[in-house]
Amino acid sequence: MSLAIAGMGWVTPLGSGIDSVWKRLLQGHEASATTISESVSDRRYTTFRVPESALTGFAHSRLRRASVISRFAAAAGLEALHNAGVKLDSQSAERTALIFAISNGGVIYTKRFYRDILEAGAQSASPLLFPETVFNASASHLAAILGITGASYTLVGDGAVGVAAIKMAEDMMVDEALDYCLLVGAEEVDWLLCDAYRRWRLLRSTPPIEPFSKQRRGMILGEGAGAILFAREGPITVERTHAGGFFTKRAQAVEILTAILRDLGHSEIDLVISSANGTFVDQAEHAALEEILPDVLVYTGKPALGESVGAAALWQVILAAQALQQRELPPVLHADSAVSVRLPHARTEIPQARQAIVLGCGVNQQAAGLRLAIR
Amino acid sequence: MAQSNRVNGKKVTARVAVVAAGVVSPLGFGLTETLDSLRNSRDCVSPVRRFSVEQCRCKTAGQIPDERLLAGRNDAPRSRRRLHRASHMMIQALNELLTQQPQFKPELTVIGTTSGGMSYGEDYYRSVHQAGKLRHAPTWIANYPAQKPVIDAQEAFGISSPCQVIANACASGTNAIGHAFECVRSGRYKRVLAGGYDALSEMVFVGFDSLQASTPDKCRPFDRNRTGMVLGEGAALLALENLDLAQQRGAPVLAEIIGYGISTDNFHITQPDPSGIGPQQAMERALHSAEISARDVDYINAHGTATTFNDAAEGKAISSLFNGVPVSSTKGMMGHSLGAAGAIEAIFCLLALQHQLLPPNINFATLDDNLDLNIVANEARPAVLHTALSNSFGFGGTNASILMRRSHRRQDYGGPVEA
Repeated sequence: MSLAIAGMGWVTPLGSGIDSVWKRLLQGHEASATTISESVSDRRYTTFRVPESALTGFAHSRLRRASVISRFAAAAGLEALHNAGVKLDSQSAERTALIFAISNGGVIYTKRFYRDILEAGAQSASPLLFPETVFNASASHLAAILGITGASYTLVGDGAVGVAAIKMAEDMMVDEALDYCLLVGAEEVDWLLCDAYRRWRLLRSTPPIEPFSKQRRGMILGEGAGAILFAREGPITVERTHAGGFFTKRAQAVEILTAILRDLGHSEIDLVISSANGTFVDQAEHAALEEILPDVLVYTGKPALGESVGAAALWQVILAAQALQQRELPPVLHADSAVSVRLPHARTEIPQARQAIVLGCGVNQQAAGLRLAIR
Repeated sequence: MAQSNRVNGKKVTARVAVVAAGVVSPLGFGLTETLDSLRNSRDCVSPVRRFSVEQCRCKTAGQIPDERLLAGRNDAPRSRRRLHRASHMMIQALNELLTQQPQFKPELTVIGTTSGGMSYGEDYYRSVHQAGKLRHAPTWIANYPAQKPVIDAQEAFGISSPCQVIANACASGTNAIGHAFECVRSGRYKRVLAGGYDALSEMVFVGFDSLQASTPDKCRPFDRNRTGMVLGEGAALLALENLDLAQQRGAPVLAEIIGYGISTDNFHITQPDPSGIGPQQAMERALHSAEISARDVDYINAHGTATTFNDAAEGKAISSLFNGVPVSSTKGMMGHSLGAAGAIEAIFCLLALQHQLLPPNINFATLDDNLDLNIVANEARPAVLHTALSNSFGFGGTNASILMRRSHRRQDYGGPVEA
């Protein structure tokens, strides 16, 4: 069973709109760094945030009280449908499933809700905020906006959760009662997340993200959403998804990534969209690529967009689809030319490219991958 | 080679057996203790001691005692000692399941939860906020993610299958079992591990209290004088396997899962559509999926949170589809365990089918005047049961129902038939 991409949409720190963000990536743009702080600490963190302009003109009454993660998700989801030329009515909405991929969810409201409890006691807890802290809040808003009355799932995981969601879509589309599956990956950035990842020694205090660097200086968090509408027919298909597995020690990540590449890479692969983000993930992917696909062209968009965790894998699939369709790759930013992985250090044409692998390796023990092909 | 046909567009290649199960809940550790609590209509809700509930309306919950859950932790490897309570629940449930079926190797694991290791997230933020000690912060952060207890349990027993963690609020556990069922039934997977877990946390407890969804009284599902829910916690797992393969290898079939329905009602983020359309669609879709009629259902384990709105909508939906089928909500006995609820209640259905009993709806006095339901009031009852339906509904208007059928091979079910 293969899935075909019918439409795509994203909201990123480089703006929104598939073509517009792709153009900026090709031009070698990097998202603007924003500093965030918290009253309880002197420590500040640098992040790649979605610019306000990315959501200009986008509003919906259902999202009036919703956190930004729900706005990102809804905007990306609606763009994917528009991009596919699909307008859902009550009949087609019934034949459309919704799958969300997230990692930290509505962390801004969650923190605010718990802070109120700590500062003013349980009696001050807000009944308006609490429902927005639930992992599936964003999915329920989008389902309501689109009128989806059938299957709606929210999957939680790390940077690989988007690939797990695509695997789930593949399993669900066996059901002929479904015509479409809309996948949305979303994340919002907050000081608390930055602090947590720093304490875990995965975060860098200021940009850039230096992919595949031996120093592993860490990642910069990004935010936004990616959405893909899957159907059964289309020029770009997910030929095979490898559900991967989990690693219990970081050093074991390379084994599972090698197994994924071995499974997906038996035919001629033209490029790999990596999840390299300046952490241990890079070395694991590097080692696996060196063993299975030593000469393949590798691209990572994280130095330009940041590590968006729940949205990351969806962005990677969009990048792969764009590269296959447009037949070129943006430059990988901030990569040392001495890095032995074959990276496009400048905008690079790939006129013969037919197949791409997306590797999803998260920092919380999960890894998965998939292979895309263009007809 | 198995033949396939289609039911409502879904590819049906295989029947789906439950070949093993494990559970930890306020009702007990394991199937035997759980059955005993169900038979004796035990009220396992107690005053909350994990955190202060002084400012909350509700003061009680169904809780798993740490002295038992964490017993032996100090003798465990250092890495195991740091795990969240939720991980220990999952490890205990998986241990019981694998004791029954040591050779069960799933290709996929699908688990429902709502809040992962939330209390570690609370510890971390409280320390940041109050400039407290953050020496344990890396442990808290590492054990907070929702997938961690699943990975911990799998690692403890050498299971390496990829895991999908579904967070569909209070329907998560039933969604996980339902999706796993469809994966096996379609023929794409031979064995899938499915279930759910959730551990009590202050933030979630206060959240439900702020919504005035939880009660200072007893939890009285479907009662005229119900005033809300109490929270619970626990973990439950089911080993699902292609029935033919299970029988070929001589595995006992505890029950079959025969149908699954999911719906989204989009009415309100915390309240169901008062018409009951969401639950009704989920139940109808489960019946269609199983190719049976409402008359074939012998017992309904209701979502039955005892909130005004849930019980009204669910009650309306049940009475619109079923005529006098015995109904109980078991949440009065152990509280609402959120992401674990659907999985734990699936275990209750499994035990009900195996041991031919109707689990009780305790704390019940008088049926809500607006409902027309046959409630299994206060005490478990013997009954002839072939098919049971389990409902779970959650925030965001997500609704799920599964149908389970008794195994008809006498050697398969666990005990003597009682009625």
